[in-house]
Amino acid sequence: MPHLEIDDLTVSYEKDKPALARFSLDVGQGELVSLLGPSGCGKTTTLRSVAGFIQPDAGRIVIDGRDYTRLPPNQRDIGLVFQSYALFPHLTVFNNVAFGLRMRRAPRKVVHARVTYALRMVGLEAFADRRPAQLSGGQQQRVALARATVIEPQVLLLDEPLSNLDARLRVDMRQEIRRLQQQLGITTLYVTHDQVEAMSISDRVVVMNEGKIEQIGAPESIFAAPETVFVADFMGFDNHFSAAVESAQADKLTVNWGGVPIELHWHSKVGAPHRGARAEVFFRADNASLSAAADAKGLSGQVILHTFHGNEVRYLVETEVGEFGILQDSAGQRFENGAEVSVQAQTQKWIAIIE
Amino acid sequence: MIRRHNQNRTIVLLVAPAFVFVLVFFILPLLFLLSQSVLPEDGGFTLTGYADFFESRVSRIVYQRTLKLGLIVTGICVLMSYPAAFVLARMPARRRSFLMLLVILPLMTNAVARTFAWLIILGQRGMINQTLLALELVERPVRFMYTETAIVLGLTQLFLPLMVLPLVSAMENIPDDVLEAARSLGANRLTTFLRIIVPLSSDGLVLGATLVFTGSVTAFVTPAILGGSRLLLMSTLLRQEAVILFDLHAASVVAVVMILTTLAVNLLLRVLRVQQV
Amino acid sequence: MVSRWMYVSLVILYSFLLGPFVIIFMASFGANANLAFPPQGFTLDWFANVFETSQFVDSFWISLQLGLSSTIVSLVMGMPVAYALVRFQFSGSGMVETVFSAPILVPGLVMGFAMLNFFVLLGDMHVMTTLFIGHTAILFPYSVRVISASLRNLDPYVEDAAVSLGANRLRGFLLVVLPNMQAGIAAAFVLGFITSFNNVPVSLFLSGPGVTTLPVSMLSYLEYYFDPTIAALSTLLVIFTVVLVQTAERLLGVSQFV
Repeated sequence: MPHLEIDDLTVSYEKDKPALARFSLDVGQGELVSLLGPSGCGKTTTLRSVAGFIQPDAGRIVIDGRDYTRLPPNQRDIGLVFQSYALFPHLTVFNNVAFGLRMRRAPRKVVHARVTYALRMVGLEAFADRRPAQLSGGQQQRVALARATVIEPQVLLLDEPLSNLDARLRVDMRQEIRRLQQQLGITTLYVTHDQVEAMSISDRVVVMNEGKIEQIGAPESIFAAPETVFVADFMGFDNHFSAAVESAQADKLTVNWGGVPIELHWHSKVGAPHRGARAEVFFRADNASLSAAADAKGLSGQVILHTFHGNEVRYLVETEVGEFGILQDSAGQRFENGAEVSVQAQTQKWIAIIE
Repeated sequence: MIRRHNQNRTIVLLVAPAFVFVLVFFILPLLFLLSQSVLPEDGGFTLTGYADFFESRVSRIVYQRTLKLGLIVTGICVLMSYPAAFVLARMPARRRSFLMLLVILPLMTNAVARTFAWLIILGQRGMINQTLLALELVERPVRFMYTETAIVLGLTQLFLPLMVLPLVSAMENIPDDVLEAARSLGANRLTTFLRIIVPLSSDGLVLGATLVFTGSVTAFVTPAILGGSRLLLMSTLLRQEAVILFDLHAASVVAVVMILTTLAVNLLLRVLRVQQV
Repeated sequence: MVSRWMYVSLVILYSFLLGPFVIIFMASFGANANLAFPPQGFTLDWFANVFETSQFVDSFWISLQLGLSSTIVSLVMGMPVAYALVRFQFSGSGMVETVFSAPILVPGLVMGFAMLNFFVLLGDMHVMTTLFIGHTAILFPYSVRVISASLRNLDPYVEDAAVSLGANRLRGFLLVVLPNMQAGIAAAFVLGFITSFNNVPVSLFLSGPGVTTLPVSMLSYLEYYFDPTIAALSTLLVIFTVVLVQTAERLLGVSQFV
């Protein structure tokens, strides 16, 4: 039985334009699930509904078998970490973390012991008497984390917790959140718009768009096999072209790529593709390679720009099918702007989507 | 903005007490005033009060004088504040905040005290007359009191801060880079001032002008002390009609004209501001 | 960009702003009763005269009571309005804002006159009550504006954080919002008090026999007497204001909200 159940949740701020439409999700005990999507996709609405700050128009929220749907937010057993951290500016770190325990009327000794333990977990024992304004962004983030977890909530909710940190700190904090979450074995919903963050931290990822789920799956499967054009775009498939299906089997289909027939994995929302159907083909810049035009047969093209990225060089190649970005090992053969090249597809990592 | 359920009920509970208070004790008296100006005690609806006001030589002169002095005061305030505000806005924060405090402080002292100083300066044996006599520029003391000059001086001193404050805060928001960019593109100081600083601070100017002008045409204390009953402005006229002549009908007409004047100025300047955007 | 002649403008501005105060200070210590300038001699008689004039002493206490009570009431009633305006998006918020800024748009003297007529209509009301109502009404714009500004400085999510940790809305407000608004409330208080304490136009019409505010009694004193007592009183008031504002600034850093 799932620990957190969200059934058919629907929220509309404006009439006929639901921010969340029949959203359903089950999260297992101790699982970390990310809600990933651009702003306005409904991920924060989902989170705030679970927290109780938004009353859904329809649907149910059940935690550990108890119906939470109509419960006021202060009576829910939930820990919430805000994007802005929302630390109480007038209270010390200790009193920030102690706030939830005091609301639950925990005895003084218990408060002291548990707050001290929670601060030790996030490495901030020495800062107990500081005010939030005296802390760095990363430290404030840790206080927010300690404050939300010290009450030992049924479910932990994190709303873009890393978006106010610089890139380097974000990677550290990501690991720290994951470590803490696993140590505590706490069921967690994690909202983010950053696909790398979602993949690296989650057991499962929910990609959302316009109030609906686009795809749910393990990070690996979402990364490798997006099922919709939206997910492919969002997961960093940088090259895209449309092509007509020439033939289709159960697991592969063939399209014509500027005269070169290529076989691709496919996914369709509208049943098996037929000959002539339009397929949207996606591939990443590192899943194709270049060679000199004379040497090989592939799609021929011309280099129009190259940029150096350390270990790799990125080429922008113009072909009759379109412009493609292609990464090459910088130690390998180099091409100048204007060079005639041939593009080889590594089609096992390409994907065709029929919508 | 946060959304919550039961929002409407919460909002009503939060706003209602003060709202009812303002409605009953502020809006209602104003409506009553309005009705008083068109419904004299002994008759039905009439606009004769307004006709009388604009036909009477005395009240027409008073109204014109009030507007004229308001414009003069506003103009002087603009001229005095503009360069000074620019200097203030470019100062290091510490020194500026101290100087700004000195601008605010007069605002926090009552108008009677601030106007009283002009009695000492402009009086028969006041500072200016003593100086003029000592230099033998005049033989007898000059009468400054109860003149338009006296009122203009008093009002300018009173409302100057209301021009300086919005101008400084508008100019603070002009980045140094923008001025340097203008200079690097070949603009001289005057051009930079006229083409960059003035347009970018026009919001502050419009706000300041609104405050100073409406303040000047409705101020009571300064014209009462420095103009007295010899040189009436709208506010002192209102007081005279209401308290001395006890003509409530005429007084309420004066009051409504004052409201309409301030509203018109506010509206006009708001339109100016919108057009610039 | 700042050239020398611009500094000259600064000097002119400040001498015009502050010069009158210097003259008042000097006059309040001068021995000549007719306000001739420059003052001759030195005396503290005018200060003594302030405290011996019962008209000033009585009206000071009335102004003090009036300032405190109308400021407190306008704050207590204005704070929920500011909270609603800042924290919620609702249809009619524009109308609410207009109604609460109206007392700034309407000339004070007109307001005093309108209120006087209205209160006469309502029947016998104590002068103090009418003064209190009038002052409270004109203070709303200040309370609502300053409190709104200080609320905007506070992350709206801290309240949600308190609620998610188990506090109800009211407790969340009392434990988390209110303590963080101390400076804003103090600023609104000082501003409101000073506005009420200095008000002439509204008080002028609403004052009654024996119940007069300090600035109004200063004004009527000037109609009969022309001596440095008012200068001495003005000096005292300037000192009073400076001390009040400085104390509020030292304790709570009020100036950021004014």
